[in-house]
Amino acid sequence: MDKILAKKDFPRWLEALGAYDVYAPQLIDDVWNYELAADPKAVSLDYPQTAIPAKKIVFPQREFFFEFREADTDGYELKELLPEGKPAVIFGVRPCEGKAVTLTDLVFGGEIRDDYYWKRRNAAVLVGLACASPPSTNCFCLSVNGSPHSKEGLDVLMTDLGDQYFVETLTDKGKKLVSEGGAIFHEAKPADKKAAEKIHADSEKKLARELKNIKDVPAKLRGMFASPFWDDESMSCIRCGICTYLCPTCHCFDINDEVESQTPLAGRRVRTWDTCQFPDFTMHSSGHNPRPDKAARLRQRINHKFQYFVEVWQNYQCTGCGRCITLCPVGIDIIKVVEKVRDHVS
Amino acid sequence: MVKHEDVRAEAKKLLESGKVKYIIAYELGADGWKANPVFIKKPEDVDKIIWGPTCYHNLVRFVVDEKRRKAQQKNPDTRPVGVVVKGCDSRAIVILLQEKFIDRKDVHIIGVSCETTGVIDERKLAKKLKGRIAKAIEFGSDENFLITTDSGTVNLPASEIMADRCLECIAHVPVITDVLFGEKTKRTVPQPFGSVEKIENLSSEDRWKFWNEQLEKCVRCYACRSVCPMCYCDECVADTITFAVSPDTTAEEKAQKIKWLDKSPVISENIFYHMVRAIHLAGRCIDCGECERACPVNIPLRMLNKKLEKEAKLLFGYDVGFDPEKPALISCFRDEDPEDFIR
Amino acid sequence: MTEEFEPKIVAFLCKWCSSAGSDLAGVSRMEYPANVIPIQVMCSGSVSPLYIFEAFNRGADGVLVSGCHPGDCHYIKGNMYARRKLLLVKKLLEHLGLEPQRFRMSWVSAAEGQKYTQVIKELVKELKPLGPQTKLRRESNG
Repeated sequence: MDKILAKKDFPRWLEALGAYDVYAPQLIDDVWNYELAADPKAVSLDYPQTAIPAKKIVFPQREFFFEFREADTDGYELKELLPEGKPAVIFGVRPCEGKAVTLTDLVFGGEIRDDYYWKRRNAAVLVGLACASPPSTNCFCLSVNGSPHSKEGLDVLMTDLGDQYFVETLTDKGKKLVSEGGAIFHEAKPADKKAAEKIHADSEKKLARELKNIKDVPAKLRGMFASPFWDDESMSCIRCGICTYLCPTCHCFDINDEVESQTPLAGRRVRTWDTCQFPDFTMHSSGHNPRPDKAARLRQRINHKFQYFVEVWQNYQCTGCGRCITLCPVGIDIIKVVEKVRDHVS
Repeated sequence: MVKHEDVRAEAKKLLESGKVKYIIAYELGADGWKANPVFIKKPEDVDKIIWGPTCYHNLVRFVVDEKRRKAQQKNPDTRPVGVVVKGCDSRAIVILLQEKFIDRKDVHIIGVSCETTGVIDERKLAKKLKGRIAKAIEFGSDENFLITTDSGTVNLPASEIMADRCLECIAHVPVITDVLFGEKTKRTVPQPFGSVEKIENLSSEDRWKFWNEQLEKCVRCYACRSVCPMCYCDECVADTITFAVSPDTTAEEKAQKIKWLDKSPVISENIFYHMVRAIHLAGRCIDCGECERACPVNIPLRMLNKKLEKEAKLLFGYDVGFDPEKPALISCFRDEDPEDFIR
Repeated sequence: MTEEFEPKIVAFLCKWCSSAGSDLAGVSRMEYPANVIPIQVMCSGSVSPLYIFEAFNRGADGVLVSGCHPGDCHYIKGNMYARRKLLLVKKLLEHLGLEPQRFRMSWVSAAEGQKYTQVIKELVKELKPLGPQTKLRRESNG
C-alpha cells in the first residue's frame, strides 16, 4: 500500500515508535553514521552515505555468546546470552545496504542458522531511502545487479519527493511500522507514484561509475590464482581493515574469551568483527600462514566477492556502495582491479 | 614552484641508469584529481608522476614494506628504492635511520619542498565546496589553491583547507635528501604546538570527556597503525594472535601468551591501544598526520602524539626527526632531566 | 554502615633498592597501610609503560614505580631511563584526563624502610578522596 508522508510529519512518525530502538544517520565530527536517534526533531534524511553501514545493527561489532563460570564442583556453569531481540528500526538505509543484508542472510542462514544474527535480524525493520542522486562519487550499484531504488532486503522504501516522502510498504514488518504512524500517513495518488517512478528512472542515469561486462570475471579469477598480477595490484596496500570493516557485505568474525576473573575462572565468550586483510587473520597455531603477504590477501578479497560468492550463492558479494574506494587511505580501487582482471591477458 | 617535468626527469635518469630498483612516487588516482602512491619500475612510466596539494600520503611507509620484502627473499636486489618525500616524510626517514631499521644506502631520497603552502585536508575541502565536486586542484599563486569543480573554478586560501599539521609545520623543506626540488623558503610557526595546547587548557575532567567521546568512536580498524611508517613491528602489542612460534613452542606457552588488551572495541580497550601507540611513538612521531587522515571516523589522533612531541621538546630538549645520528628519545638521558615529580 | 574506600595500589619495586626497602619496613615491624600489591622488577628501568596501562586497565586505583636513587642503580643507568620514560607516561595519562595523583614514582633505597612507609601513607591519603579508578578500567560482568 503506497502512502504519502509530509516531511514536516516525519518526526511524528519517530515519536510514535517508542517501542523500537530507532536508528537514523547522524553527523558526528563530520562523519555520518547510524546512531540511536535521541531527538526525533533532529533527524534528517538529507545525507549522503554513512561510514559504517547498516550491517552494524544486525551484526554488531561486538556481541556475547555466553557466560562461563567455574563451578564449585567439576566443570563450568554456562549461560547463553542470546540477544533480546528488541525491535529496532533503521531509517535512511540505502538500497545497496538493504541488498547487502540479503547477502549476509544467506551466510548466516541456510542449513546451520546463526541464532545470534537472526534474533537481531528478525527484530530489525529496514526503512530504505531511494538514492535520487548517488550518495557517493564511487557508487556503482547498477553494475552488480543492484539499483539506486532497489527494494531487496528492505521493509519500507521511502522516496524523497521534495516536501513529502513517497512511502512504499514492502513486507509485513514494514506494514506494521507504517501503521504505528497512523493518520499522519495519507494515501498516495497516482501522480505521486508517477513522480517517484520518474525519480527512480532518472537516478539510474546519474551514477558516475560503472563496472562493465563482468560476466566472465568469476571464471577469469579462477585461472589467476597464482598470477603475479596480485603482487603489482597490492603494492600500495597498507593492510589496515577499512575496506572490509566498512563493507556492507563483509561478515568475517573472531571469537575470543574475555576473562573477568581468574579465581573462580569466569568470563564471556565474545564475537567481534575480523578482517581477512589483517596479516594474522589466517595465522595457524603452528605458525604457518597460508596468506602471508598482501598479494594473497587482496586476491582473497576480490575472489571472495567476485568468484567464491558467485559460485556458492550465485550473487556478487559486492553491492557497489563504493566505501572501500572512498575510504582506502591509498586509493586502491576495486572497480579498477576488477576491470584489470576482466582485461587480463596472461 | 616544483615542476612535474623536473621530478619526472630525475626519476627517468635514476631508472635508466639502474641506480634504483623502483621509485615510490605520487600519481593521479581513478577520480582524476586525488593523488595515490605509485611504484614506477620502468623509465617509460615516469609520466605518471605528479606533485600537488593532494600528495598527503607518507610514502616512507612503503620503504618499510620494501625492507620486509627483502627479508623474505633469498637473493634480494640490494639497490636502493627511490622515494619522493615532503619535509615531514623526510623526518620519518631520519627516524628509521636513527633506529638502524634501514641503511642510508637503502633509499634514494627525492625531496620536494612545500614552499609556502602544504597539502590539503579532504574533509575541509569538501566542507568549503558544499556539494560541488572537485575535478582538479593545483597550487595557485599568493598561497591559494586553485580548484576546478563541476561548476566552475574556485580560488581558496591555503590556510583554509590545508591539513592541520601543515599549519604547524616545522619542516616544510625536507631535512635529508639526495636531490631537492622546490625552493628552500623560510617559514616561521609562531605556535608549533598550538593545537595541542587547546586541549591542554581544558580542565582534567573536560579532557577526559573529550577523549572518551572521541575514542568511543574507534572501530579498531588499525588504519592509524597500518599507515604509520614507524609502526613497523612484526608483532604488535595490540594483536594477541601474532606470535612467533617454533616447533618447540608448547601448547601451554601458546595458551599462556600475554594478552594485553581485548579485541573488542570498547572504550577501555580502545584507550589502551591508543595510549600504547602514543607512548611507543614518543620521540618517533614526526606528525605526518596520516593516522588522522586515514581514520574513517575522524578521531583527532594527532592530539595524542603531538602532546608527547611537545613534552620531548620542553622536558628533555629533544627535537624529533632531524639528526640521524641522535639516539632515540627513551634510550638516552641527561643529568638534568626533570625529577620534581619523583617523591 | 558504609565501608570506607580502600584504594588498591600496584607498586613496581626494583629488586635491589625499593623492594629491599619495603622488606626492611616489614622486618622492622613498621606500620603502614595494607593497600599495596607489590610486584618486584629487576630495575625501575625495566618497567614498561604496558605494565602501568595494564594495571589501570585491570582496576588499580593507583600505580607506584619505585627505584634506586640516581647514581645508585644496580645496573648503573636503568633508573635514568625510567625517569625519562615514566615522565612521558605520566604526561600522557594526565593528557587523557586521568587524575595526576594516581601515578607516581619514588626513589627508595634498601635502607629507607621508613621512607617507603611514608610514600605509601601519602599515596593512600591522596587516593582515598578520589574514589575508585573507573576511567581506564575495563568493564566486567561482575
